[in-house]
Amino acid sequence: MVKMIAVSGKGGVGKTMVSCLLIKSLAELGIENILAIDADPDSNLAESLGERVEKTIGDIREEIFNEKAQVGVSWRDVLEYRIMETMVETDKFDLIAMGRPEGPGCYCAINHVLREVIDIFAKNYDVVVIDTEAGLEHLSRRTTRNVDVLLIVTDATKKGITTCKRIMELSKKLDINIGKIYGIINRASEDIREIINSANEIGLEIIGIIPEDEYVREYDLHGKPLVELPKDSKAWVSVREIAEKIIGEDKRDEPT
Amino acid sequence: MFENIPVDVGMIYEGERIRKHAMHADLGGPKAIGVELLRVVPMEKIEKDEVIIKGKDIQEMGEGKAYPFGMFIEVAGEKLEEDLEGIFERKIHYFLNYIQGFMHLNSRDTIWCRVSKEAKKKGLTLKHIAEILITFYKTEFEVIKKVRVTLLTDEEEVKKFIEKARAIYEKRDARSRKLRDEDVDIFYACILCQSFAPQHVCIISPNRISLCGSISWFEGRAAVKIDPHGPIFEVKKGELLDEEKGEYSGVNEAVKKASNGAIERIYMHSMFGYPHTSCGCFEAIAFYIPEVDGIGIVHRNFKGLTPFGLPFSTLASQTGGGIQQEGFLGIAIEYLRSSKFFQGDGGWERIVWLPKELKERVKDAIPQELYDKIATEEIGDIEELKNFLREKQHPVVRRWVEKKEEKEEPAIVAEELELPAIGGGIKIILKNAKIYAETVIIKKTEKK
Repeated sequence: MVKMIAVSGKGGVGKTMVSCLLIKSLAELGIENILAIDADPDSNLAESLGERVEKTIGDIREEIFNEKAQVGVSWRDVLEYRIMETMVETDKFDLIAMGRPEGPGCYCAINHVLREVIDIFAKNYDVVVIDTEAGLEHLSRRTTRNVDVLLIVTDATKKGITTCKRIMELSKKLDINIGKIYGIINRASEDIREIINSANEIGLEIIGIIPEDEYVREYDLHGKPLVELPKDSKAWVSVREIAEKIIGEDKRDEPT
Repeated sequence: MFENIPVDVGMIYEGERIRKHAMHADLGGPKAIGVELLRVVPMEKIEKDEVIIKGKDIQEMGEGKAYPFGMFIEVAGEKLEEDLEGIFERKIHYFLNYIQGFMHLNSRDTIWCRVSKEAKKKGLTLKHIAEILITFYKTEFEVIKKVRVTLLTDEEEVKKFIEKARAIYEKRDARSRKLRDEDVDIFYACILCQSFAPQHVCIISPNRISLCGSISWFEGRAAVKIDPHGPIFEVKKGELLDEEKGEYSGVNEAVKKASNGAIERIYMHSMFGYPHTSCGCFEAIAFYIPEVDGIGIVHRNFKGLTPFGLPFSTLASQTGGGIQQEGFLGIAIEYLRSSKFFQGDGGWERIVWLPKELKERVKDAIPQELYDKIATEEIGDIEELKNFLREKQHPVVRRWVEKKEEKEEPAIVAEELELPAIGGGIKIILKNAKIYAETVIIKKTEKK
């Protein structure tokens, strides 16, 4: 079944909006246990979801880095506790933010344990949605091991498709298994045939098209959480359809 | 085994996290105090297995609330020793996580437990929790004959108990700090850094923490319990070959195997002969200063220059990569506190230079009479260092005199020495070279 969904894309294309609305849609489709991982230090998934993150995994990593080497207490256990502590817990989903990458010094051991702990945490959820930056940094550092669906969000430009191509190439080089890759075209105007053709040329299947949405612009302008978009928001309607496709496809794949 | 318990108990529930919407109550955690302690007591102190509960029980707790929680476990058995308390206490974490609908995180005075709504509905009580612990302790450890479990949720009781527990942790830690290499048969090896230093194997013993400073012997033991086939694994230390330098047959075998034959032997507590390799993760670098026959140590955060005129970063590029290099060694700052710190080379008596910040940080570990004899960055170069050490009568000065009487040593001794490119598309390799020279000058060639 679809478990790990990674949402990637260049900054400013609406990637975090897609992640946010995807989480909202999945919850409404009846998925009870959702973990959201904000793995893009330049975006703020929590804010879009109307939540606040007090501390990131990066902050915990620094704390442990400076405290480590105690007698009698294992920092692995402390790490587990602190991740649980920083987790934003809501009725619909839980959220952790990865924060900034590490400073100088050796983080091999800490990162290794961090991965193990997050893997164990992730097992408790039905779906994990990772909002990750275009460089796929967190995927390449193997914060996660398997990705069932990689969604690449782009704007309706030729340049955007070029970025998609780069992300697709990058994903092949990673030492993780990626199930399916789909493209999402955001802020699409009336005629986007040419863009869809370009996507087809690079072998990127488009799973959904999100039209320009006045609401999104307005919410962004006033800093209102996108999770509160009204039912007639075009963006939300489109993302909900995408969520249905991802989940629906899953049902078809299941052996009868 | 658990017929009377209303929820399932088994290993499949390990790693179970109870989400907020499914939670009945928190015990301990960030919003309330939580503490656990296990003690070994004499047989006559416990008549028979016993459960004591003080405070509200799970069924009486308000939904979504956090309650103080104290767990005091006393175990008795003829063959039990106090030393086992830490190991037994750690088991609480595993045993409680086997309970369906019950979560346990961390240890000692920072525990966090959570009970699910489902478990509450099925009728789980603290008495059940205590009974599960008693059953597990007695079946897992045959030496444990009697168990008394006291569970506290009354705030005043937990507060009193936490003070008592902290005093005992402290005593226990003081004892652990005294643990030496000779007290254990198992060391640990870590190959996490082989991704960039393929030959590097870190050997971790009670007296030698990993050179990144992250994995102590205790941490190694914890890691192996979680994943015995992971990048951190057990090493039987084997026969002691050299006590001073810290050479063991089992360690040599493990290093040889894990480095794919690249490294055949290592000394755990010497930087000469067969020193430990360095990955790139070390917190500090120990470097030999031949002019004064002493050792300097520089840590990663020190931005100034060593007496060589080189910063940490330059020395690091010479030290890392998993190569065995006499005279350069990556170490953890904590290693300076080891009772076997460079034991094979004279220990603290051989240390001549430390940055001020580092010297202050490990002040408690430096023998008092040596503290003022160790130079810091105020001493700029080798010549100044020599004068400083002579003036302060640093123990290495005695070695200078002894050395003069020795036979003159070759300036360069090398099994194989490759001369840097001298142009013309050829290179010169000297095998088994011994070069005697009054002065050796190594100069940068001028660019054309």
